[in-house]
Amino acid sequence: MPTKQKSITVEESLKKSLKEVSDYKYAIDESSIVAITDQKGIILHANDNFCKISKYSRKELIGQDHRIINSGHHPKEFIRNLWHTIANGKIWRGELKNKAKDGTIYWVDTTIVPFLNEEKKPYQYVAIRADITERKRTEEILESSLKEISDYKYALDESSIVAITDQKGIIKYVNNNFCKISKYSSSELIGQDHRIINSAYHPKDFIRNLWITIANGKIWRGELKNKAKDGTYYWVDTTIIPFLNELGKPYQYIAIRADITMRKEAEEENLRLKFELEERVKQRTEELEAFSYSISHDLRAPLRAINGYAKMLEEDYNDLFDIEGKRLLNVVQENAKRMGVLIDDLLAFARLGRKKLAKSNIKMTELTEAAWIEVTKSTTTKYTIKIDQLHSIVADRSLINQVMINLISNAVKYSSKTKGPKIEIKSEKESGSIVYSVSDNGAGFENEYGNKLFGVFQRLHSPDEFEGTGVGLALVKRIIDKHGGKVWAKGELNKGAKFYFSLPIR
Amino acid sequence: MVEKGNEIEILLIEDNMNDAEMAIRALRKGNIANKVFHLKDGALAMQFLFGTGLYEGRNINEKPKVILLDLKMPKVNGMEVLKQIKSNDLTKKIPVVILTSSKENPDVEKCYDLGANSYIVKPVEFDSFSKAVAEVGLYWLLYNHPTA
Repeated sequence: MPTKQKSITVEESLKKSLKEVSDYKYAIDESSIVAITDQKGIILHANDNFCKISKYSRKELIGQDHRIINSGHHPKEFIRNLWHTIANGKIWRGELKNKAKDGTIYWVDTTIVPFLNEEKKPYQYVAIRADITERKRTEEILESSLKEISDYKYALDESSIVAITDQKGIIKYVNNNFCKISKYSSSELIGQDHRIINSAYHPKDFIRNLWITIANGKIWRGELKNKAKDGTYYWVDTTIIPFLNELGKPYQYIAIRADITMRKEAEEENLRLKFELEERVKQRTEELEAFSYSISHDLRAPLRAINGYAKMLEEDYNDLFDIEGKRLLNVVQENAKRMGVLIDDLLAFARLGRKKLAKSNIKMTELTEAAWIEVTKSTTTKYTIKIDQLHSIVADRSLINQVMINLISNAVKYSSKTKGPKIEIKSEKESGSIVYSVSDNGAGFENEYGNKLFGVFQRLHSPDEFEGTGVGLALVKRIIDKHGGKVWAKGELNKGAKFYFSLPIR
Repeated sequence: MVEKGNEIEILLIEDNMNDAEMAIRALRKGNIANKVFHLKDGALAMQFLFGTGLYEGRNINEKPKVILLDLKMPKVNGMEVLKQIKSNDLTKKIPVVILTSSKENPDVEKCYDLGANSYIVKPVEFDSFSKAVAEVGLYWLLYNHPTA
């Protein structure tokens, strides 16, 4: 009995052990990927999880070795090391990348346990694996993101001047380009704030605005002039990006800058040249002004003498001249007078070049009516005049008055020999401008000479036909040009002329 | 031109002899020519007014009633003469009429600032010139009595 009882006890304990093993096996089969191979690596057993992950049936796996799921990912050295470990009876642990039947890749965390015979040689291996594909994928993504970030950083460091400061502006990091351009070493810069490179060029408001922008979590962009260690200046196109903590407050700033010193120097040079040019123009204008005055003085004096002495001759020796003598004397005086007018007109024309426009709103109908009265106050000819209700305009009053007087004088002059002289003044609104016109039914001109009308000293009539110096219309053109308008004319010989000028609407 | 014992009424300072002759002729027409004294540059004018150089010993208290002063002159120009006249207590009350070739002359404005009393543009046309000179000459002689 005791023997039997003992054997029952053994049997029961064996049963218990078996139950335990089978429980373990169940648990392992449920949780892990399990394979058993012989000492050569030929698969003797594969559990359901193995089949599921490798997508091979058990039948397809049994009798094969692990090359069936080899992904080719691991170097030969790695595989050799694995075999070396387990062949020597040691447990191997590691991560393996395998290939399933359908070509998809999976990762397994692997433990291979060798089972040894009495000669301490492995007779089989049990491989227990866990699926870590998801983790590996995340790792790979993370790795590639990290790689991407480091590529970006590399590219940024190569291309830009980079600094990182804390929320107070204390420099925590500078890259090589920052050191290169500022001529400070990174140890000289770190721990300082940006005042170390302050050029004092920018007004306080400008700097304050920068700080307000970034302290409020907004990106600031602008151009800054900085001072390097050796006292030289450099310009940087700057973007400062604030990084915010959970409370929305900046905890650091990254400043990315590009060297624009060359461009700024070119700009400054341009400005300097422009200033120089303006100065030169001003100087030339002053010279011209002095020259104009000198001309008006020096040319007038002899003219005055010619005219005056001819007059004295006429007054004091009147009895000694016959009619022809008096006529000749008169020609001398008339021409001296004409030249005086010519000089005046020319000076007026030159003066216009430097006159600044004083713009105001002009009631053109009133201005034109007044100009008409002024022009015709000493004429005896009867004109039919028609002044339309004209559009008002913003322009220089005295100059536009000059234009009207000149155009009306022209119309009056060139229609004075016509029977029933008629003058019409109109205006019309066009897109962006008002077009005014002064027309007459006088001597007119051939359209082919129309372009010559507005040149200085250009005339289409001789002085004995119609008096004039040829400056009036040139003056009109110059005034209208200065206002950004246009002048043009249409004419027909002996039928009349129509002069137009346009002024832009502000 | 200046008769002994006769007080000089108009001092004409003009470098251009033709202009001077025409001015004097114009004044003569206004029956005031005998009281005109002509000096042909600014340096001489200063010597005359302040009794130095060529005019050393002249009684400088005999002052002209009006000075006709050309602006553009060699050596001492009209503006400098004006400045001297108007900054000296002895002469600053004498009316000074500027003669200029052009009203565009920017110096005219400065002359007013310096105390000039009026100006005459010397026109090319003789009649206008005569009229202007005679009128201004008369105005300052007859209607304007500078305080002694």
